[in-house]
Amino acid sequence: MSKATLERGINALKEQIDTPTAAFFSSCVNCGLCAHACLFYTETCDPAKTPIHKLEPMRRLWEQEYTLTGRIRKWLGLGKPITDDELEQWSELAYQNCTLCGRCSMVCPVGNDITYMIRKLREGLSAAGHAPDGLIGATTRAVKLGSPMGVTLKALEAQAKHVKEDSGLDIPFDVEGTEYMVLLSSMEIINYPEYLQAIAKIFDQAKKTWTISSEAFEATNSGIQIGTSDIAAELVQRVVDAAEKLKVQTVISPECGHAYMAIRWEGPNLIGRPFTFRVQHILEVLDELREQGLLQVEGVEDGRLTFHDPCQLVRRGGVIEQPRNLMRLVVDNFVEMKDHGKMNWCCGAGGGVSAIEEAEEVRLKAFNRKKKQLSKLHVDGLVTACANCRIQIEEGLEENDMDMPVIGLTEILANHLVEKETGGGSSA
Amino acid sequence: MKNDPSLLEVLRQQGVSRRGFLKFCAATASLMALPPGMAPVIAKALEQAHRPSVIWLSFQECTGCTESLTRSHAPTIEGLIFDAISLDYHHTLQAASGSAAEEARMAAMKANKGEYLLVVDGSIPTADPGYSTIAGISNLEMLREVAADAAAIIAVGTCAAFGGLPHAKPNPTGAVAVSDIITDKPIINVSGCPPIPVVITGVLAHFLTFGTLPKLDHLGRPLAFYGNNIHDRCYRRPFYERGQFAESFDDEGAKKGWCLYKLGCKGPVTYNACATTKWNNGTSFPIESGHGCLGCSEPNFWDLGGFYNALSEPSVNTGNAAAFGLVAGAAVGAASGIMARKEKDNTSHAHQKVTVNDLKRGESQ
Repeated sequence: MSKATLERGINALKEQIDTPTAAFFSSCVNCGLCAHACLFYTETCDPAKTPIHKLEPMRRLWEQEYTLTGRIRKWLGLGKPITDDELEQWSELAYQNCTLCGRCSMVCPVGNDITYMIRKLREGLSAAGHAPDGLIGATTRAVKLGSPMGVTLKALEAQAKHVKEDSGLDIPFDVEGTEYMVLLSSMEIINYPEYLQAIAKIFDQAKKTWTISSEAFEATNSGIQIGTSDIAAELVQRVVDAAEKLKVQTVISPECGHAYMAIRWEGPNLIGRPFTFRVQHILEVLDELREQGLLQVEGVEDGRLTFHDPCQLVRRGGVIEQPRNLMRLVVDNFVEMKDHGKMNWCCGAGGGVSAIEEAEEVRLKAFNRKKKQLSKLHVDGLVTACANCRIQIEEGLEENDMDMPVIGLTEILANHLVEKETGGGSSA
Repeated sequence: MKNDPSLLEVLRQQGVSRRGFLKFCAATASLMALPPGMAPVIAKALEQAHRPSVIWLSFQECTGCTESLTRSHAPTIEGLIFDAISLDYHHTLQAASGSAAEEARMAAMKANKGEYLLVVDGSIPTADPGYSTIAGISNLEMLREVAADAAAIIAVGTCAAFGGLPHAKPNPTGAVAVSDIITDKPIINVSGCPPIPVVITGVLAHFLTFGTLPKLDHLGRPLAFYGNNIHDRCYRRPFYERGQFAESFDDEGAKKGWCLYKLGCKGPVTYNACATTKWNNGTSFPIESGHGCLGCSEPNFWDLGGFYNALSEPSVNTGNAAAFGLVAGAAVGAASGIMARKEKDNTSHAHQKVTVNDLKRGESQ
């Protein structure tokens, strides 16, 4: 209908300011602790990157529109209106310099969920037309082509064919009434097709029924990253429709942090009703299989390995113990980074940052935090559970001449599966 | 004096570790509101300092100040520092008596001319010198004689600092403070009835470290200790803010530890460090024991209108004004809440669905 305007942006921001937001803004004591929790601050020492400061236009709008003194000031002509220039400036802080990793929210002494508010600020910025081009492109492709990277069903089918050739296993498409419906991220389809083969092998061993929907195989939700709930809801609705059409019990979010957060936590709120199916991250599923004795592995990895926690899994999703249980199955020499689990440092590329071309420099700078963590550990390799983290870490390591393999946890488990026929029959 | 052991040596002999000593220096630095970097400076100065000669004169007093400073609690570094000074004359503590004692005073004054510290407790009677004499010498005469060659004077206790109890109406002895008589020497008033022991060791440490007296307030008291009033530092302050007062010493409020303002607490007008440093090795202070502050470190505290009278009683009926204020405040709050909600509703109505075609600015805006 209409194009993005400042008015639309400001209206969207005003709409986003809710009771928690008002409580958070009024209880901020300007202590600055969030700065030291943010890798964009610690790696640049630029005070503008203090998380709470990234919310300044929204804070001012709250003050002007929703507080008595602010309204009086505005009425007396003393309030400073929000301008386009300002939003443009803050777009850089809120999109390029924030991965929505949630670490700032963890340290806030008064309990302010800063990440929650930056997500809201993005609503206003995107409605005002100040979202970065990279994210607009990804979102447009996600809506129009079904994948932010423009990966089509054809490309996925080609990968499925490769899996069949490699392992002899069929990738089931559009099978009704299965236990699981598997979602994939474009990054996995293109860069890490091993994941697809890994789950095929694991489910084959566990004798679980599963399928992929040809109508909604994409898990990543660019609508969340760009911060437009209307679009995010549309993308969630596609998955919900497909899952309900196929009458599956559980939808599995792939090795991707934001995809999980989008479908698991934001999803039902976005579409305004509870799902009729469960949503689990692949690591939660694998740990359940392990508990039920359905994940039979043999042998261990040779080297000293560590695990990088994807922010959205640990801080927003509480998936902390599962990867550790799984790591210990196949890794003898498993070491933890100093800050791990719910306080792990972000890789530096989540929350849409990896889709923004202009953010490349700051993204690699932010990686220094992970580099420092890794160089202290002297590990032979790193395991993670997010394709986006994985690609950022691989790129960062290469940039810093650090030679170290990065591998997905699902894949490493699949490599250690007890081979068919040797364990005493798999007739069914 | 050169053969005297240094302070550190004295402390060592008494079993104080270097770590304990440095801790004392750091605590002194922070008590005196000096930057943390000053702690080592204090340590160095105290290590090398030779025992300063101190002459202590007691005039119209009750010996409570001496008791407070020497017997307040088991040996602490504050106590030991106090022991470590060369207390050449103190008629409560010294062993000598009669003319031997007076000779010791004269000898100390002669040997340390211009360098000794004079500590005074008690006020000085001016109506008739006969009210208080020592060895046949009037207090006034002795003070003038000893003060003449002192480096500085520390007036310990409210009597020496402001006249205290002897000065209370009708003041039959014509009692005055040290500062009313001596005007040409630096005087530091460590007021209180009695004063807090750590204040005097802090002042001594400052004098030994910097050779000067610490910063003083308008009444000549060290700002570091007398800079805040009891009320501002009182742990019962939140009850005052909430209007929760004990009305008698045995009511519910008193049992619950509410504010003692209405029972005559003088905390709001009394400047001292009781609420922070506390008494008896940090055990408590009067308010913590359930009694209001008497205001003992302030001049004329005996004549402030009775220990159990509240500082001020409101003269008009505040009930209606408070009720009106409450209603008006609630109304303003509710109105502003309604306005905010209405604004929020408007934004929801004004929401236009955002599609991917709306993410960019139009070319021809």
